[in-house]
Amino acid sequence: MAIVEQPRTDIALPAGAGAPAVITPKEAKGMFARPVQPEGWRDWLFTVDHKKIGIMYGVASFVFFIIGGIEAGLIRLQLAAPNGKVLSADQYNQMFTMHATTMVFLFVMPMASAFANYFVPLQIGARDVAFPRINAFGLWTWLLGAIFVNLSWFLGGSADGGWFMYAPNSTRMFSPTNGVDFWALGLQITGIASLTSAINLIVTCINMRAPGMSLFKMPIFTWMIMVVQFLLVFAMPVITVALFLLSFSRSFGGAFFDVKQGADPLLWQHLFWIFGHPEVYILILPSFGIVSEVLPVFSRKPLFGYKFVAISGAAIGFVGWGVWAHHMFASGLGPISVLVFSMATMMIAVPTGVKIINWTMTMWGGKLTFTTAMLFSIGLIVEFTIGGLSGVTHAVAPSDTQQTDTYYIVAHFHYVLFGGAIFGLFAGFYYWWPKMFNRKLDERWGKANFWLMVIGMNMTFGPMHIIGLQGQPRRMYQFDEANVHTRFWNAVSSIGVIFLTLGILAFIVNIVITHRSKHPRYQTTLDPWDARSLEWMTTNPPKAHNFDAIPTVHELDEFFHRKYAEDHATGEIRQVATAEDIMAEQEAHAEKNIHLPSPSYWPLVVSFSLPIIGFGVIYNHILIAVGGVVAILGIFGWCMEPSVAPAEDYEPPAAPTDGATKELTA
Amino acid sequence: MSPLPDMNHEDHTMNDHEEASVSRNVRPWRRAVKAAGLLAGVAFLASCARNSPQDTWKPKGENAQKIDDLQRPVFLVAGIVGLIVVIAVSYAIFRFRDRGQAIPKQTHGKPALEIVLTIIPFVILATIGVFTARSIIDLADTDGCEMTVNVTGQQWWWEYDYPATPANQKWGIEKPIVTSGELVIPVGTCVLLRQTSRDVIHSYWIPALNGKKDAVPGRVHENKLHADEPGYYSGQCTEFCGLSHANMRQWAIALSAEDFAKWVEDQQRDVVAYAEDDTSPEAEGYRAFRQNCSRCHQVNGMKNADGTPTIAAPENNIVAGAAPNLTHIMSRSRFAGATYQLLNDKCNERLIKAASDQVGAIYLEGVDPDCLNRKDLEQWLRNSPEMKPMYVKPDEQGRLRGMPNLGLSEDQIDSIVTYLQTLK
Repeated sequence: MAIVEQPRTDIALPAGAGAPAVITPKEAKGMFARPVQPEGWRDWLFTVDHKKIGIMYGVASFVFFIIGGIEAGLIRLQLAAPNGKVLSADQYNQMFTMHATTMVFLFVMPMASAFANYFVPLQIGARDVAFPRINAFGLWTWLLGAIFVNLSWFLGGSADGGWFMYAPNSTRMFSPTNGVDFWALGLQITGIASLTSAINLIVTCINMRAPGMSLFKMPIFTWMIMVVQFLLVFAMPVITVALFLLSFSRSFGGAFFDVKQGADPLLWQHLFWIFGHPEVYILILPSFGIVSEVLPVFSRKPLFGYKFVAISGAAIGFVGWGVWAHHMFASGLGPISVLVFSMATMMIAVPTGVKIINWTMTMWGGKLTFTTAMLFSIGLIVEFTIGGLSGVTHAVAPSDTQQTDTYYIVAHFHYVLFGGAIFGLFAGFYYWWPKMFNRKLDERWGKANFWLMVIGMNMTFGPMHIIGLQGQPRRMYQFDEANVHTRFWNAVSSIGVIFLTLGILAFIVNIVITHRSKHPRYQTTLDPWDARSLEWMTTNPPKAHNFDAIPTVHELDEFFHRKYAEDHATGEIRQVATAEDIMAEQEAHAEKNIHLPSPSYWPLVVSFSLPIIGFGVIYNHILIAVGGVVAILGIFGWCMEPSVAPAEDYEPPAAPTDGATKELTA
Repeated sequence: MSPLPDMNHEDHTMNDHEEASVSRNVRPWRRAVKAAGLLAGVAFLASCARNSPQDTWKPKGENAQKIDDLQRPVFLVAGIVGLIVVIAVSYAIFRFRDRGQAIPKQTHGKPALEIVLTIIPFVILATIGVFTARSIIDLADTDGCEMTVNVTGQQWWWEYDYPATPANQKWGIEKPIVTSGELVIPVGTCVLLRQTSRDVIHSYWIPALNGKKDAVPGRVHENKLHADEPGYYSGQCTEFCGLSHANMRQWAIALSAEDFAKWVEDQQRDVVAYAEDDTSPEAEGYRAFRQNCSRCHQVNGMKNADGTPTIAAPENNIVAGAAPNLTHIMSRSRFAGATYQLLNDKCNERLIKAASDQVGAIYLEGVDPDCLNRKDLEQWLRNSPEMKPMYVKPDEQGRLRGMPNLGLSEDQIDSIVTYLQTLK
């Protein structure tokens, strides 16, 4: 299913920007028709192009970011003053459960997938991912799972057990609505998406790198994405097991968490956190990858200690498996377990510290320009450091028994996830926007966006350190001045949300202005940032086939080394070529027979079977069978369909129509 | 004082530098950030002046003290490391910004420097690790405990059962004492809590006395409390336990040895059983209670009309299978998951602000008629789920989670409140 360069016949080169166009089959053969040159919305629906899939991941997860943000806003509105009355206890419990679920599974993870899908093939000089139809399947399965989870809002109430969903509070006895069922089944569905995408990207990274790109010449973002995919491959099965136990307990009378029948509720906690802790790194490492791309570009220096950063990323991915019980220091483990996990947790701070040091050293001695992408990256260094250091304070298990389940923890992980993961993603937006959309986001709005978010996040989450250390527990729908004198800081925290909201609005306004305005300020050149890696060695946005000629890689930061050379006499770095020169050279050596995988209906069909099965589990078991039949038919159709339409399906080659293509064929 | 405000402050400092170097046209922001920083600093000091009862930095007992001794240096080290990072980043921002200098040499790193910079955090953490290990082992040691209390969580209140074990008999506990909400312990003594739960997972936490420990159904977890001086210590359930998690409170009241002995003696007394033909208001209330409340709430010494003991059967009515024992409700200062005051505001202030040597005497007074918070107690009897969210929809076996609206008349409410006041 990989991009098979077969059959290799000379084929159409219709008019275009001087490049061979995508070839889609005109008609299908066999019993299952495939989409023929779809246009408009059908093009997006049936596409297997990693770039389009990436953009769809991005747009959909941004919508969930806004939904999760509204949920957060309601939570802070409720807690703006003691004894808040905005939400009932029940609504509040649903709100914080869904806020976390949405931000983790429906925003940060898929937004990282958006960047991974779009940029991993470009960074390694490939024309698509290894399994393009599985890629499409991943997108639609994730999206349908995400919608499925959120449907519970309209069907009797959402999950109310917290995102950690501790049993037995999540069993039917203690959570009688269907919310937890929607949650468990929906996450099961998004989990399938994560697993398939992970395998896909691993194979892509391992098999499809451009000639000459050894693992240690692979761009650092791709490195981090590869580590994340390995984490996913091993972490998702664990949550899958846990969710199955939960669903079977709730829907089919399973006794996995029924204490009266001998169950131990700690089983859920172990399963959840064996998944849950690697999940933390699944959320943060893509952003580490993004800032590790951005900082060198705007420091005009290579990433300091690239190998150290890559290896420490892998080390985090590895040690990340041995720290899960630090979420359970108060749950009654024996002192030896606590001791071991406490030590392991402290040790994982070392490779994380290595990254902070390397980023700082990357800037050291550089030539820094402070674009919005750079500001978000520097913001990440500082905010993540604060979050990391507060993390060390509760790696100390005894001190964690005072801090766990208080707002101090809420402060900690928001510094890590908002100041870390989300700042990284915003750095990615600003950095890669010209590449994806051939428009440059406005820098003034970008700076407003950055500063509002910095002020907003420190105002919202900073006071939570104090609120927590003053003893206010998490997950309480109201707080009471009799126990905790935190009225002032809770108010400050809630006001901070206004700044965060304005910051995100500034981003949205920025997008609208950038794409509406004809002003030259928003035009971008081929290489607006004087970037360093392969994704910039193609047009903006990249052609459907990414590269006219697959580049041969000689260096880490290949693109930079094609543009600049060191003068051996003086040691001076001098420009030897422009991006345009390199582009022209590539076009001159364009490959003629580029076959791209063809669009397909089947990923969408198979994806649709999953929520049907989900509804079946909740409402009527017959639907499980219906969904199963749809899935089997879909998989059958998929198997029968070749990934690339046979040669006879293509139009006969057309004559070149413009100068560039003439040159190309000459 | 926590080093956190320092961290926040560092953050502002860094922002200032960054701004200065970023772009000149964002200057007005700089003042705003400074003003905000100043305001936050002043406000922080103001908020510090008030003593939060659950402050995790104010240990009042041996175990909490051990934790505090460990966490203070860790916070200090974290603060210093944070400061170094912020200074380094700020310096780099200021020093290396693009002033038209040549493209820097493309160095890929200095392995020796990187190894040193990896070893330094390792050594810092290993040092912290040694002290952490010692504390973990110390805090898990329950050998020296001289008294045992069984602590059971359920939605949404805590039950304390002082069993008449040989060790507890030394404290005068000849027959089991069952109480709820407020844990009464002798000062200067290691009290072992054997924690479990009857439904979902809860967590027991009195910040001034020790860190938290979960109460998990089907398991018994040991926890220990030790109070240095008599006092009234606040805590809350800290493991999310469903709808009214926010309304599951607990208090630990540490009493001097003499006061504790008196409390033990009081708690072991049974109530007066009123004659069926007694027409005093208290006896009316006794019968109203027996008719409406005793299905779930045990009152030791209460008798049915035929003279047999009245035994509550909460297992038939409540999912968790328990309801608070009310034999000595007026010896406590709170009710309903220790969320609502039995004392009116004036008497409550007197208790919670009492000096250490006064607390015992005031607490042992119990709820005097002129101290009773009649309004909340009556409202609770009138419609409890409205005050504290509870699941009052019965499950398949007709059991509830929490106290339902019993539909009592105003006369019944008056009568029951009158009776409850006798339960000291």
